[in-house]
Amino acid sequence: MTLTKPRQDTALIAHLLRRASFGATPDELDDAVSRGYEATLDSLLNSTGDNDLPYDLIRRYHVDQSDLRNQPAAAAYWMYHLVQTQAPLREKMCLFWHRVFATAATKLIQGRVVLNQIDMFRRYGMGSFRELLLQLSRDPAMLMWLDNQDNHKRSINENYGREILELFAMGVGNYTEDDIKECARAFTGWTVENPDYMSIKMRNNTARPYGYISWQFKYDEDDHDHAEKTLLGESGDLNGEDALDIICRQEATAKFIARHLYHFFVADEPPVPQWPHTPPNDAEAIDTIVEAYFQSGYSIKEMLRAMFTSDFFKSETNRYARIKSPAEMVVGTLRLAGGMSVPSNEAYDAAATSANMGQALLNPPSVEGWQGGTEWINTGAYVQRVNFVSAVLNAPDRPGIKAIIQRIRTAAAHNYLSPAELVDLCLDILGPMEILETTREGIIEYAAGYGDISFGDELSSSHAEHAILSVLRLVVTTQEYQMV
Amino acid sequence: MSNFKLQYLDTVGFNADQGGRGFHLPTAMAIREDGRIFVASRSNTAALNIVGIQVVDKDHGFFGQIGSYGHNPGEMMGPTALALDANNNLYLADDVLQRITVYDPEGELISTWGTEGDGIGEFNAPSGIVFDDDNLMYVVDHRNHRVQKFTKDGHFLAQWGSFGDGEGEFNLPWGIAIGPDGSICVADWRNDRVQRFSTQGEFLAQYGSAGNGDGELNRPAGLAIDADGNIFIADWGNQRVQVFDREGKFITKLRGQATLSKWSEEYFNAQADEKRSRDTFEPYFEVDTEDVNEISARIEPYFWDPVAMALDSDERAFVLETCRHRFQIYQKHSNTLQN
Repeated sequence: MTLTKPRQDTALIAHLLRRASFGATPDELDDAVSRGYEATLDSLLNSTGDNDLPYDLIRRYHVDQSDLRNQPAAAAYWMYHLVQTQAPLREKMCLFWHRVFATAATKLIQGRVVLNQIDMFRRYGMGSFRELLLQLSRDPAMLMWLDNQDNHKRSINENYGREILELFAMGVGNYTEDDIKECARAFTGWTVENPDYMSIKMRNNTARPYGYISWQFKYDEDDHDHAEKTLLGESGDLNGEDALDIICRQEATAKFIARHLYHFFVADEPPVPQWPHTPPNDAEAIDTIVEAYFQSGYSIKEMLRAMFTSDFFKSETNRYARIKSPAEMVVGTLRLAGGMSVPSNEAYDAAATSANMGQALLNPPSVEGWQGGTEWINTGAYVQRVNFVSAVLNAPDRPGIKAIIQRIRTAAAHNYLSPAELVDLCLDILGPMEILETTREGIIEYAAGYGDISFGDELSSSHAEHAILSVLRLVVTTQEYQMV
Repeated sequence: MSNFKLQYLDTVGFNADQGGRGFHLPTAMAIREDGRIFVASRSNTAALNIVGIQVVDKDHGFFGQIGSYGHNPGEMMGPTALALDANNNLYLADDVLQRITVYDPEGELISTWGTEGDGIGEFNAPSGIVFDDDNLMYVVDHRNHRVQKFTKDGHFLAQWGSFGDGEGEFNLPWGIAIGPDGSICVADWRNDRVQRFSTQGEFLAQYGSAGNGDGELNRPAGLAIDADGNIFIADWGNQRVQVFDREGKFITKLRGQATLSKWSEEYFNAQADEKRSRDTFEPYFEVDTEDVNEISARIEPYFWDPVAMALDSDERAFVLETCRHRFQIYQKHSNTLQN
């Protein structure tokens, strides 16, 4: 299929909405096309989506989403956000930071503190990277995840000092073992209220006697090491904030975050552990994002803007070039189908489905997060994907599905649609998607079983509706629908 | 003038998500005249054994559980309200199964009735029950935005209310209580107010407005009314309890001050490592958030989702908290002062 010029514009904006959002319904795509690429990007970058959710209803009906202690309930709560949000890029950045700063409820036991961390990403995830790192360093879930409550003036625990350099900001090869120790010393005294009792509740995995107690950051001046330290060549009585200033000034930091953004939003890079030994796929692209980092004073939003307005992002070779993560697959499909009613048990099902496909929200497998890419796809996960998407789309009463059927009905006007026309319309509405010609022919052959369709009367409309749903269900099983 | 005061007495409860003595995510409470206290645990899918009605008393006695998770008669899936009739039969509302279940004083099933719908006698999330002096029953039909009146056997008598925010209209009403004068108060949950009606459903008054100041409400849930007509309100969204006088004027508020229950102390006595660190625990600290739900999650003695209110014959007020798996008990003092 060769797209006409207007459809080329549509295809480009659809690409932006797949990457910077979770895809778009046909109406949302029309709206974005009428506003243009720049305006669409602006609204994605600036949306705050306040009051997205009726928290009172959710908490009243799902009492386990009020205390938010157990992980399935907490993941369902986030799923509501992801599916219903009017600020999809902000929510996608929460997924991004959740992958980079991976913190898991398995160790922490309570989902609430990990969700509080996600909410921190919601507020700071597109602002200054320096401010985000500060909030991360004060985040109780992160402090307990990496044992910083055990990082004392007289006996340091290196975990947080190591990971902020290795996994969160700079990457292996850009610091020494001494830097790790000095960085850890800078964060001595950064702990939580009631650290002993909170630690033992976590260790014993107990919510007794009265449930969990949500953690709060505490700076313990008496436990902070005020002696001179040297980090990355700079010396002084460095506190955590000084360490962050030094880290954020490093070229390696800019490159590391730029590569993560490229990996998440543009095209799959090799797994992170290979980065010290493998150059980026597109070094010039990384340089472009790095330049935005320094020119804007570490603004993540400006790094995103530089990336999304670049030729490398818009390039046709980078379209449908990434495998959808389970969360992208589940959230994108539910949004296409018109969202979820609130409250409903579908949020639990959606979170469980994402977990079954390999991405348990709030429970990344390790401190390195999910590698993504081809790791998302294996036979079992593929079956999960297809079954879930088929089930969601096989619901003609969902508002999004109704809108798709209506759109095809409008396109048909009073005429018959041939199987090929029906398949091309479905591909256009779900993308516009370009699929292998052999795949397209296969779907047309299947659609031919329904013959030409029309909406002349109730009987033929019902037949046409069946045909549309069947074709949609087949399209979403294609390899191309697994890509973003 | 009255000198109204609520004095903290005790806390009863324990997180029983692993089963045993205690509650898990409780949502409803009723007190029988002999002091037996019935608490319904809604729980979550990871802890279904505790779904049921736990029977306890204010002195930390635990007398077992009525009902269990399931959809068969006598079982429950979404308990929301409990009430006792004049014969001490126990009535349970369930907003998942859309029905009322009745147990005798020994906890044996008597009957279950109700179906989902918005027709006469049907339910869409029954969420509050109260009996009047004639042993007639009023059920808050939450998602149908109305109150329905029945005989105690479930024969429909009357209904009032529809969706809206005008007088006599409701937006997802929740709790219900009856006053000494026979009038009925309904917590109009999403309209942030309490409305008063006659037993015929005639609108009489409304109290409160949206906000977190004194006399303002944020999603009021459970209600109870004392012998003087004072209205005790579980101000759920504000994580507090407020008391209004019979005219609806603010009298006082509580934020909660729970202490360890006897069951909790026994638990710590058997857990040496937790007890040692608990001894260093400072429950009250200065919080760095204004989110009242999060504050309740951090400060253990505070109310966290106060959902149901009950009063006993000795003027003790009981506040049930969903997320802390316990109830706090306060003694009402109300001496009349002579000027």
